[in-house]
Amino acid sequence: MERWVWVTVIIAVYLLANLVIGLMAGRRSTKSVTGFVAADRSFGLVIMYFVTGATVFSSFAFLGGPGWAYSRGAAAFYILAYGVLGMAPFYWVGPRIADLGRRLGHVTQAQLIAGRFPSRSLSALIAVISLIAFVPYITLQIEGAGIVITSVTDGHIPFWLGGLLAYGIVILYVLVSGAVAVGWTNTFQGIFMVVIAWALGIYLPYHLYGGIGPMFEGIANARPELLVPPGLTPTGQPWSWGSYSTYILVSVIGFMMWPHLFMKAYTAKNDDTLRRTVMLFPTFQLFLIPVFLIGFSGVLFPQAPTDPDSILPFMILHTQLPAVVVGLFCAGALAASMSTGDALVHAAASILVEDGIWPFVPMTERARRILMRVLVLLTGAVAYYLALNSGTSLVQLLATAYGVISQLAPPVFAALYWRRATTAGVIAGLVAGIVTAEIFFFHPALKPLGIHEGILGLVVQVPVLVVVSLLTSRQSQEHLDEFFPSGAEAKRTAEAG
Amino acid sequence: MTLRTARGLAVAYLALFLLAVIWPGALVASRIRPFVLGLPFAFFWYAAWIFFSLPVLYLLDRVERRHRDGGEG
Repeated sequence: MERWVWVTVIIAVYLLANLVIGLMAGRRSTKSVTGFVAADRSFGLVIMYFVTGATVFSSFAFLGGPGWAYSRGAAAFYILAYGVLGMAPFYWVGPRIADLGRRLGHVTQAQLIAGRFPSRSLSALIAVISLIAFVPYITLQIEGAGIVITSVTDGHIPFWLGGLLAYGIVILYVLVSGAVAVGWTNTFQGIFMVVIAWALGIYLPYHLYGGIGPMFEGIANARPELLVPPGLTPTGQPWSWGSYSTYILVSVIGFMMWPHLFMKAYTAKNDDTLRRTVMLFPTFQLFLIPVFLIGFSGVLFPQAPTDPDSILPFMILHTQLPAVVVGLFCAGALAASMSTGDALVHAAASILVEDGIWPFVPMTERARRILMRVLVLLTGAVAYYLALNSGTSLVQLLATAYGVISQLAPPVFAALYWRRATTAGVIAGLVAGIVTAEIFFFHPALKPLGIHEGILGLVVQVPVLVVVSLLTSRQSQEHLDEFFPSGAEAKRTAEAG
Repeated sequence: MTLRTARGLAVAYLALFLLAVIWPGALVASRIRPFVLGLPFAFFWYAAWIFFSLPVLYLLDRVERRHRDGGEG
């Protein structure tokens, strides 16, 4: 039998396993909105660990990461730098959010912000921001899945079919089982991607160059500019420190503001689970090391792929690996794509209903659950359509996503920690921040020192939030007491949860 | 170790981590040699900061947990 047939069989088995796990998981969840969106707040440590890790590492990490290391060298280290720093504050912030969620019934980020700062427009604004950031992100995951499947089957399975198969399954298990399916499949997918990445990341340098040290010796002699930060730009020019450093900063700030990650705080069974998930996250972050090794192993390889992002499948197909390994690799790459894609599709639908529609149109719990499912299907369809018809504009949209998402940090922190903040202040700040970020995004030449537009947005947003809050009247004590319980009360609630 | 010390230590480590990976702190490590564990120095530098955050967060969690169990607030 030809190699691509074996590979196809392995992929088929892998996809089927995902479907079964996803569908089985749903039998455990209740038929409530909290069940669909937040898995009845039931996730224990193992699932939380993998959900968080596998959701963070998407196609971008598995395909884009090696692509960056291969073409831009040390510029890729920025991806290493921000994860732990972005996650660590959630050791303290996470339990706080979860506690408010349990007491006040939040299942989304916008409910927390609009709960503290009551305003339907604010809630809708956050829903729109989330969606603008999500759709291109989902589209890129579908593209990732399609590229992987079509390249390892030598084109026997076309791009449109590969993407359709992988995401058809994702949509199906999210539709049926909601957040629980995301949790269980991500555990499976997470184990897969970590094992595959470490195995390949160590195998390729040894197989091709006799070791990791000898590989880097070779690169140090031939292309030393690839090994020192801040590395190169996509066109091969030296990258600026201003741009490199603010990419890290904006990613640290924006990291947990991604609604699909933030919402995971509502799925944890208890605060200890959340804290331990944060504590263990660096072990997942280390998975980027073998991913970069794979990319670096392509630098001195005699042939080159047409596009740096396909360096990973390219290396797999050009190093005479057995079909089983190719198939398993493909499953690992699909795992990275699907474990992020499912969380995104699920979060997009949940947010649209809970924050964009429900505040304006009263609906029963049952109607909300049904509408969420319709929107899961719709979001998937739109992203799939874009994946088939995309141009460069999508990559552009995704590049701005962090700039926009990071603007949610001041409202979140004001809601949790600043009693004097007011609704008017938060709305004014948010709008000012987003407008600023967008202006600089569309006119990059105006950016001082190449500073990331998200940071520039924050520099404008924070003073606006503070000044407008101080100029408007303070929120009522009664309202504040709900959000800032006294020490003893907070402890009782934490224990009850 | 008191809760204050453990939190202070964790926050100090994270602050140093941030400074060490962006300009100007990252300039210190922006070099190829010496190789450590087969990795060029700059690569090792970034990996090491992630790696050592594990014991720091573990220590923090232990102290926080003991403090909560102790019921001091």
